[in-house]
Amino acid sequence: MSRIKYFLVSSIIAMVFFCGVLNLTPCYAAENKLKVVATQTMFAEIVKEIGKDKVDVKYVAPPKFNVHFIQPKPTDVRNITKADLYVDAGLDLEAWSDSLLEAAGRPELFRGRERNVDMSKGIRLLDVPDHQLSRAEGDIHLFGNPHYNLNPENSKNMAENVLAKLKSIDPANAAYYETNEKTFISRLDEKIAEWKTICAQCRGQEILSYHKDIAYFADFLGLKAEQYIEPKPGIPPTPKHLEFLEEYVKTNHIKAIVMPTYYPKDAAEKLVQRVGAKVVTICQNVGEITGTEDIFSFFDYNFKQISEALK
Amino acid sequence: MRILFVIVLFISCFIANTAFADDVSELKEQIKTLTNAVKELKDTVEVQQKEINSLKETQNAKPPVSVVQPAAQPAAANTILPGKFTPEIGAVADIATRFEKSKFDTENANRVQVRELELVLGSNVDPYSRLDATVAFTEESKVDLEEAYLTRFGLPFDITARIGRFKPKIGKMLPVHRDSIDTVDEPLVIQHYFGEEGMNKSGVDFTKIIDLPLPSVHQVTFGVIEGGNGEGGTAFGSAVRRPTPYGHLKNYWDITDVTNFELGISDALGSNDKDKSFESNVLGLDATLRHTLNPNQEVKLQGETYYLHRKESLDGLDGTTDPRGNFWGSYGLLDFRLSSLWGTGFRFDYVEPVDRLLSDPNKAEIGYSEYLTFYQSEFARWRIQYSHIDRTTGENDNRVFLQGTFAIGEHKHKLQ
Repeated sequence: MSRIKYFLVSSIIAMVFFCGVLNLTPCYAAENKLKVVATQTMFAEIVKEIGKDKVDVKYVAPPKFNVHFIQPKPTDVRNITKADLYVDAGLDLEAWSDSLLEAAGRPELFRGRERNVDMSKGIRLLDVPDHQLSRAEGDIHLFGNPHYNLNPENSKNMAENVLAKLKSIDPANAAYYETNEKTFISRLDEKIAEWKTICAQCRGQEILSYHKDIAYFADFLGLKAEQYIEPKPGIPPTPKHLEFLEEYVKTNHIKAIVMPTYYPKDAAEKLVQRVGAKVVTICQNVGEITGTEDIFSFFDYNFKQISEALK
Repeated sequence: MRILFVIVLFISCFIANTAFADDVSELKEQIKTLTNAVKELKDTVEVQQKEINSLKETQNAKPPVSVVQPAAQPAAANTILPGKFTPEIGAVADIATRFEKSKFDTENANRVQVRELELVLGSNVDPYSRLDATVAFTEESKVDLEEAYLTRFGLPFDITARIGRFKPKIGKMLPVHRDSIDTVDEPLVIQHYFGEEGMNKSGVDFTKIIDLPLPSVHQVTFGVIEGGNGEGGTAFGSAVRRPTPYGHLKNYWDITDVTNFELGISDALGSNDKDKSFESNVLGLDATLRHTLNPNQEVKLQGETYYLHRKESLDGLDGTTDPRGNFWGSYGLLDFRLSSLWGTGFRFDYVEPVDRLLSDPNKAEIGYSEYLTFYQSEFARWRIQYSHIDRTTGENDNRVFLQGTFAIGEHKHKLQ
């Protein structure tokens, strides 16, 4: 038994050592605020717009990374163990989300549970499969295209989803949240009209995208996006496919190749050298580049980019 | 003069009349065209009105629409999705070949072999628990229940428990499935002390994140598993009836947004035989430093050291080996993800085998491995690895591995 005692004592000593000595910076918990963890920066921003000073929001996926492939960290697990609300994209974009929730071990935050917000609820989904799916089609999504955050109209749905859950778990501040949500929607409506005006000339034009993540953006502006630098979703471009695209871009007089910052640029740049189109950065995440740190500046940037490219 | 006036008037009237007749004819034609157009439009409006009425009837039959429109997908609210309660099912094939100088006809030497096909199942049992299972099939017609355990969430004090057969949370490499490790084979210290593929053991463990007002994360795990090792392991004896208590403390720091560090300590106490004493103590230390250069490039430096203390009676020793005393082993791994398609790395191994012959000239085995990985897609990966091992017998072992790992279906990796 002496070894068991040794085992327990050594573990406790080590715990005290690591926890007490190596941490030099204290961490202050946000008091009297609802603690919210959102999977993406855009969701975090929407929660901030509605919850304002009543919420303390953290996000999981760093904005400069492809949200599909991130590796959640122990810090994220710790944040979720303390969270009052978990906000995710629903569908099957964030393949790591369920494992993250399981690591945190909080059943009430799991999908469909009382403290989980599924942002896809109410969204008119595009590219919903109408046939038996196979991985031969690449990294396709079972329930439809999950990149719905690029259409500002969908931000209204997301705001409604957040509002409903905040009211449910914090009824004392329901009126406060409702007021904030109305203000947000009202401002969003004004901006939507402005964005549609500055991008009016884009309607009907065709763009080429790196990944099939532009559907909702194209839908909002009336753009056509039928070909992608990836031959199949998630499959890197091949020389043969790039040859095809070269002809396609020339034939269809495509002016813009759109992609977020995190995909490799070499294929798009090769294409640009051959056909003369322009590579346009369309951010997928709020804060992906400097100057896009909130919802409005994020959309401002994207619509300005595409508007200038398709003049 | 009067006659001339009448003639001029007559001619003028005639001309005017002719022009008027032409205008009327043209107008009649226009009216006819317009009448047809109006008729066509009227027909169109009637058709559209019918469609609108039909849609309205359909709309009225549905419950009132809320401000947030219901999602059209994946199915209507009252539709039962086929397979809604079907567990997540996935399969992972690990196909490998090993080229080596050895004349022994060892497993997968100098031939292509399906090392194993893992069938992975998992699903929530109820709102509080989840069942996961992994069944491995090999070419030798062996079926091995690698894992089958229930995870119970939300226990008092936010503790999560596992019960069943699982990979114990000792160190960094042991809890990880073979398809998720960075090299083709496990480090020598893992192979020698715990088993060629690590170990899966039946038991129970409890994990908790310690909530401290600090920016770091601390997670503690305590568990009790059955005795023994994985296949070929020598840390403990083979008696499974003597339980092995173990513990792991994980400490994690975000140094910057793109750099983090993890330091863990593990301890496992086990028996070498069927009596109640704990003759073997394995103490482990693991450290991992990760630095992300950009979304497609990452550097990882990982190392583990195990110190094994064995106190064993002289009974049963045949004089050729002596597994008493202190042994240690370690590995260091440098992994560099070059791009979304390529990765490479190097591993250094050092281990003092428990079962080495006393006549062996060297006390320890030392290994060097280099590997190159090609990520064909998210679900298919190819790897080539060269390993050089200096054995305790004084011989050298040079091996070249080729490995393909392919996944189908749903296969979620647990966060480590």
